Amino acid sequence: MCGIVGFLDKHGQTVPPLGQTLLTMLQALSCRGPDSAGVALFGEGGTLQLRLSVPPDIERQTLNEALQEEHLTLVRSYGAGVHDVRIAAEVDLTELERRIQQRLPGSEVLCLGEHISLFKQVGSPDDLEAAYRISTLHGTHGIGHTRMSTESRVDLSHSQPFWAHGVADLATVHNGHITNYHKLRRRFEQEGYRFYTDNDSEVIGVYLRDRLAAGRSLEGALRSSLEDFDGSFCYLAATKDQLGFVKDRFGFKPLMLAETEDFVALATEEIALRRALGHDFPVYEPPPGAMRLWSIHAETASLAAG
Amino acid sequence: MPFSIDCRDKCTREINRLLREAIAEGHEHIELQYPDARHNLAVALLRPVRVVVNGSVGYYCGGMMDGGHIEVHGSAGWGAAEAMLNGTLLIDGNAGSGVAASIRGGVVVVRGDAAARAGVAMKGGTLLIGGNCGYMAGFMMQKGRMVICGDAGDALADSMYEGVVFVGGRIASLGNDAVIEEPTAEDRAWLHELLVTYRVPGPTAFRKVVSGRKLWNFDRREWEIWRAAL
Repeated sequence: MCGIVGFLDKHGQTVPPLGQTLLTMLQALSCRGPDSAGVALFGEGGTLQLRLSVPPDIERQTLNEALQEEHLTLVRSYGAGVHDVRIAAEVDLTELERRIQQRLPGSEVLCLGEHISLFKQVGSPDDLEAAYRISTLHGTHGIGHTRMSTESRVDLSHSQPFWAHGVADLATVHNGHITNYHKLRRRFEQEGYRFYTDNDSEVIGVYLRDRLAAGRSLEGALRSSLEDFDGSFCYLAATKDQLGFVKDRFGFKPLMLAETEDFVALATEEIALRRALGHDFPVYEPPPGAMRLWSIHAETASLAAG
Repeated sequence: MPFSIDCRDKCTREINRLLREAIAEGHEHIELQYPDARHNLAVALLRPVRVVVNGSVGYYCGGMMDGGHIEVHGSAGWGAAEAMLNGTLLIDGNAGSGVAASIRGGVVVVRGDAAARAGVAMKGGTLLIGGNCGYMAGFMMQKGRMVICGDAGDALADSMYEGVVFVGGRIASLGNDAVIEEPTAEDRAWLHELLVTYRVPGPTAFRKVVSGRKLWNFDRREWEIWRAAL
């Protein structure tokens, strides 16, 4: 049992901040999973950055040297060993990540892209707010997760959202179990994909990356996952300008949807939508086997036209 | 004047405690304001009181109730009225999965649509759905009556032992050992009265689904039926 949330503002800017909306939704769902919490927000693009988590035994000088050698510039440090780093040169993202982990053993790239800002940690949504003040973060759309672990470790690596390694600005959150995870993982590993955790939810990002690399659209990849994943799942996927959901064909996991002229909001339970967004809109549960993808540009364009 | 409970800034336990206290004080009409889809509201009502919920409720609203009357002016999450013994639960909007699961008596009315697994393992009582319902409605039903005014999803009434399901719209597919038979005059009269009583606009004709009873007893010669069912 976990709680997942997603929000897309059709006007492109949120009052209150997107981070506040996601946090309130996660707080309402925190009883579904107290083990870890996280959010991934997407907003205006800027520079290509990555967010790095460095273990405490690595000294600052070692970090600085490693960054210098990789032509990376430290932009911001958050404490608890989490740093934002700017990527200057055109590089192979997977190769860069491999080299960073070689130079800084035990470190982890939490997210990478021009638009994504991903924070996660062990603990409740309240703890996440205390550590990173996510309620002050702005963006156009985002996803969030509060976890009750059932099959893998409780640590930062196994927390969600998962950034899809190797693809800039793609993240997922998942509630449920992908029961053919081991089979899929073996297949993907044989094809050269690397897995960074033992969490079955990680395979979603790898799957989407593989489908996108094969030339499929995100919508096509989400749709085919309904056939290719077994088990119980509701998951959300977000890119720099899209937000989508997929719900397994048996409807084993709940997911509620509200769409108005102003926003699209998704949450495991209606309680999250009501607490964060009020009472003046209808909420419904998409049927088993449903998937849908919203594009921020399409939504803002239709608003401008309308 | 009904006794009113404002649910804002209160946890479910506190709301249900206030509800029980109001009932103990003799109030017979209690309204819950701003329920905001909280779970487990008004569970285990054991007295014939009227509880009006002004908004949507979360999971298991009215569960284990015996004799209460609940009106939800909104939608309900999963497992509404689960294991109810008697009473009525009226839902103006839609109902999540597993509405009226395992009820033993009473009436549950969903004016909108019901999600998957509606009325599974019903052991009595009546479930009336004004709209459509998802797959596996009435799975392993043992007694009672389910009425679906709209369309029914896949595997309707799968492996039901007893009881009856009436469907006004299309049936995506029947479950194992579910068979269609002609409604009787009594069935039609009962349906008419039910729809009038609860003011649910329904179709003029219903199909009737009952158990084929082929799964009641295992017989090796009917192995193919069992293989399909399991």
